[in-house]
Amino acid sequence: TTLPLNGNSGDGDAIKVFVRIRPLTEGTGLTTDGDQNLCLTVTSSNTIRLHSKPEPRTFTYDHVADMDTTQEAVFSSVAKNIVESCINGYNGTIFAYGQTGSGKTFTMLGPSECDSFSDDQRGVIPRSFEYLFFLINREVEKSGNLKSFLCKCSFIEIYNEQIYDLLDSASASLFLRENIKKGVFVEGAVEKFVTSAAEAYQVLSMGWRNRRVASTSMNRESSRSHAVFTMTLESKETDREVVNIRSSQLNLVDLAGSERQKDTHAEGSRLKEASSINRSLMCLGQVIMALVDVSNGKTRHICYRDSKLTFLLKDSLGGNAKTYIIANVHPGSKCFGETWSTLQFAQRAKLIKNKAMINEDTQGNVR
Amino acid sequence: MASSYSQEWRSVCDTFRNAQTLSDIESRKDPENDPFRSKYKARDLLKEILTVLKSFDTGETEDDDNDAECQTEEPVDGGKGEACGRRCPGDSNAGIRAAKLGVIEYYLGVNHVETEELSAGEEHLMKCMKLLDRCTITQENVSLCIQARNQLGILWAGRDETEKAQGFLETAESIYIRYMKEDGQPPMDLTEFFVGEEDQLSQQERTKRFELAYTHTLYYLAQVYKNLEQFERAGKYCHSTLQRQLELNQFVPLEWAINAATLSQYYITKTRYMEGRHCLAAASVIAGLAGEVPSEAAAQESEIEYEKREQLRQKRAEIARCWIKYCLNLMQDAKKLLEDNIGELDVDRQAELSRVRRNEEEERERERKSTVLFSSSDTFDSICALEDKVSCIFPLDFEEARAVFLVGQNYVGQAKEYFEMDGHVTDHIEILQDHSALFKVLAFFEEDLERRCKMHKRRVDMLEPICKDLNAQYYLLVCRQLQFELAETYYEMMDLKLAVADRQDDLDAHTVKKFNTLCSASMKYYEKFLDTARSPDGKFPDKLEDEVLRPALVAKFRVARLQSKLISASPTVQIENLSRSLEAYRFVVQYCEENPEARPAVETELELSEEMVSLLPIKINRIRAKIAVN
Repeated sequence: TTLPLNGNSGDGDAIKVFVRIRPLTEGTGLTTDGDQNLCLTVTSSNTIRLHSKPEPRTFTYDHVADMDTTQEAVFSSVAKNIVESCINGYNGTIFAYGQTGSGKTFTMLGPSECDSFSDDQRGVIPRSFEYLFFLINREVEKSGNLKSFLCKCSFIEIYNEQIYDLLDSASASLFLRENIKKGVFVEGAVEKFVTSAAEAYQVLSMGWRNRRVASTSMNRESSRSHAVFTMTLESKETDREVVNIRSSQLNLVDLAGSERQKDTHAEGSRLKEASSINRSLMCLGQVIMALVDVSNGKTRHICYRDSKLTFLLKDSLGGNAKTYIIANVHPGSKCFGETWSTLQFAQRAKLIKNKAMINEDTQGNVR
Repeated sequence: MASSYSQEWRSVCDTFRNAQTLSDIESRKDPENDPFRSKYKARDLLKEILTVLKSFDTGETEDDDNDAECQTEEPVDGGKGEACGRRCPGDSNAGIRAAKLGVIEYYLGVNHVETEELSAGEEHLMKCMKLLDRCTITQENVSLCIQARNQLGILWAGRDETEKAQGFLETAESIYIRYMKEDGQPPMDLTEFFVGEEDQLSQQERTKRFELAYTHTLYYLAQVYKNLEQFERAGKYCHSTLQRQLELNQFVPLEWAINAATLSQYYITKTRYMEGRHCLAAASVIAGLAGEVPSEAAAQESEIEYEKREQLRQKRAEIARCWIKYCLNLMQDAKKLLEDNIGELDVDRQAELSRVRRNEEEERERERKSTVLFSSSDTFDSICALEDKVSCIFPLDFEEARAVFLVGQNYVGQAKEYFEMDGHVTDHIEILQDHSALFKVLAFFEEDLERRCKMHKRRVDMLEPICKDLNAQYYLLVCRQLQFELAETYYEMMDLKLAVADRQDDLDAHTVKKFNTLCSASMKYYEKFLDTARSPDGKFPDKLEDEVLRPALVAKFRVARLQSKLISASPTVQIENLSRSLEAYRFVVQYCEENPEARPAVETELELSEEMVSLLPIKINRIRAKIAVN
């Protein structure tokens, strides 16, 4: 069997960012209802101006979608290309990021309690499923049935650095492991085979329901957890006695509400406090870590592990996959702070790129 | 304190205790939709106390707004705690009263900050500072002076006013230093103003609390300096924080050890090996205090034992990995000092460095050592013993290098025990890459070419099997690194064999075969590496990504060189090899013509390629002519 190597073609490996502004409507549950003042303006199809004081700031992204952008348009810009790449053996990831109430769920799934498959308002995920199976069927036909596809789904949730299986609500927390053939995977996570978009969507809905149940019964707030839906696609092509197998992954990630992201990045200059109850200064290590200089070409080891999420999606964060981040923002002026931090996060995400360091001797000599 | 034991005073103390309980314990049980319920209750109690305290008239009217004689526009902290108009000793009646009011203001300030009302919190904390500004620093109020400033430091940093935070924290630091110099008695704790005689703390407990507050000052300063990008200073403060934790026995062993190990990595990137080694030795010793690793059987029995086993094994393996980096960097830095312009050992420089070392090293070490020690009476000896196992000065010859290498290799073994291939692919491979790098740098010190070659062979044996099995779909970057390293290692071996052969008069068939095998192996891995840049349909990109640009062109260049090195008795095969070589040289030249921005990355290689593109055709034609003649 041969595997395609995903060479990075041009801009394929930089993380792309799509900013979507939700409309001002009542009943968002945010304290901004009824407030008609906006804190931002879309200035072009890829720039946005934030009305900050003293100076307004302008941010630039791959795409900025204003309030009346349709679900179809979002899918076309963000997911269409990623789904196509998946069929060709690339891994792909779509993240949704933003504060609670900024329209993440609407963007990814669609309006709550709708039958996603007939609704015009259905979100990125159902549309991706439809498109994926449409492409699969087309490929199979084109090859005269010499090509076959196998598709399985898993759905997990990361809460407080613990991993839970949303397809098996009875399971205890699971571990991440790595394997020389399979890469990073969640050990013991349920995988369900699906043969159509409708089946895939059923698996997703079931997990989503479990997520809600778990969050009420087990004190797991869904706005504080990341949910990762993974579709593994294997294609087998028989070509004159040679069997060619390709596999790829499509990850759909619903990140924790950004207002809960109390990570170092979101906090900027805030100091980590030492609680006098606890003898430990928990974050001292992170301070030191920031001092360890990477730039002088020395090799060093950092003892602090990646978060479970970044480890699981190592591939997606630079290097070997096509990745899109959808940053959702609420335009109300009361959301200014959160909107600003979301826009900053999205800007930083553009810079994430695996430094593909090839350890070549810096000896410029030729012997 | 006449009113100390009155009924009224006792009720003030009770109220204070209730407020503490509400704030520290009850608040943890507050419902999600009313998160600050207990904090608000505590706040009301504190305000009550404040009212009562103010009604105790001491004969002085010390209203907060009545400090005309104390007009500093805005009490900017950052001077050295020289407050204006000290009018009363801190332990006088008026001083005690100010301290009591200050304590309540302090707790009110903290309470407002915790409930996300920063401005009100700031106001209370500033009031607390102002009250004390009129008193000399004494046992009664020094702790409060420091803690109020700690809180203000946190507050201002949260508002992105780092310099302002720095001012408060540096003042706290200087207050501590001055107090310890001038008085040094265990000072009163904030809570002691509101307890009965019978509940006074022991001297030991007072010291502990006071020292902990100051440790926090240093911890916050470390962060402030980091945010101000004064890394050197931040590093120093991290070091002091760790040192105090150890001295005062206020630490969690594993956590402390990991932080010290991380600090060692900071020092090695700054070429400060003595400090780096000291941190690592301390990390290893302190990690040992965390207890025995539970057996596998015990871990299967209970969740807690499993967690403990996992934690201990992982953290110790992490520390081992920091040691590996220490050994590796020490050797690599020594190599940089000793090599000449073609990467070989320069004997003149070696001699000179040995001379210099004899003269000054010992003296310098004595000087610096006094400044960096993590001293704790129980662990001091074990830390020193561990330090003595490996040098912290640059190895200058093979024997010295080998000693460092063996220590590194020993830690490679330890690290691999936890980070096994199955389950920890990335970590395991990183450790192997370090192991390979250790061999590589040791080979530099080895004078015997055959033995040097054997060291490189060890690298091949280590990396080749993994490179075969690793799925490039998930580990593209690692695959590239391994392929490139293997290609280079074979290339290195080929060069060494060539050097050995040059000393022999004529080449036997066996040597030729061996040499050609090494050439082909090196080419194979360079080609594999180049293949990773191709698109799924096998097309080589017109424009290479930045991060593979130089390696890819170097790979092409090396392939060209290797093709021309192959030894063959048959002229037709020679022509074939040389034509392939020419093709690869041409590729480099052409690529740089089409992408001029790539030129600076491969200057030397390009120059030689251009030369070869003009020379090789002549050589090929000469062989062709020979064939025609025969």
